[in-house]
Amino acid sequence: MQKVIQISLSGHPTMFQLAEDAYASLQAYLDRARSRLKRDPDRDEVLRDLEQSIGDKLAALLRSENRVISRREIDAILEQVGAVNTGNGEGPAVAAPPHRPRRLCRIQEGEWFAGVCQGLAAYSSIDVAWVRTIFILLTICTGGLPIILYIVLMFVLPVARTYDEYIAMQSDANATPR
Amino acid sequence: MDYDKYNTLRKGLLEFLLLGIVSSGRVYAADIMQRLSATDFSTQEGTLYPLLSKMRRDQLLDYEWQESETGPPRKYYKLTPTGRKQLAEFREYWSSLTSLIDEVGKPCKK
Repeated sequence: MQKVIQISLSGHPTMFQLAEDAYASLQAYLDRARSRLKRDPDRDEVLRDLEQSIGDKLAALLRSENRVISRREIDAILEQVGAVNTGNGEGPAVAAPPHRPRRLCRIQEGEWFAGVCQGLAAYSSIDVAWVRTIFILLTICTGGLPIILYIVLMFVLPVARTYDEYIAMQSDANATPR
Repeated sequence: MDYDKYNTLRKGLLEFLLLGIVSSGRVYAADIMQRLSATDFSTQEGTLYPLLSKMRRDQLLDYEWQESETGPPRKYYKLTPTGRKQLAEFREYWSSLTSLIDEVGKPCKK
């Protein structure tokens, strides 16, 4: 069974249907764009422009088919659109590589216990349900070893309260001169 | 060629290329991307939109919404008088730079 999320994108009268993980990917891209544009007075307008562009590409992909868009398809489109680049020394302005958060944190938003799995999921762009499944399977197979690792990580990792905060922490870390 | 070495140069020039492209008539974002795609200045929406909005704040260009046959209304960009003036200035400066680059280091003719 697959959960499908209906979304509307700026300027587009029709709704798009996204698989749950595709929606999460788009949401993460837009959150990242929002945080990178936090000092831009036209932030909301640029976000609307980007949304419309993504919608144009989705519409071109679907033609007039009525089907669900997969994670792979949305990721290909986001790759084309490229990470938001404000030209304030946050990476090259031309042909910017897709931005990927680097630092591992634990994220309290949506945590089951202390958010270590949430953090691993955000770090690796793997769905948190998979991270947890693997974690639980490993725990059963090895007789509890991952639990010790979990407790260690719980004390070692910096904490982000929400996913947005995690993204903001990454872009701050990337903004420091190299 | 040490392509990375010229990255900063291209980054600084992108704005003036946009002025040039927009001066050719009313264009929308996809036209601009298309025009740049085969060049060294190939760029992505994530870079283009923040730059266009900054140029609009600097009053170099403006846009108006126009209906399209295939899809939602689009923003069509055009230069303002300030934008046209800046493009003319830039072209002049650029040709003075290229002649300087050509001339510098050549033996003096007496």
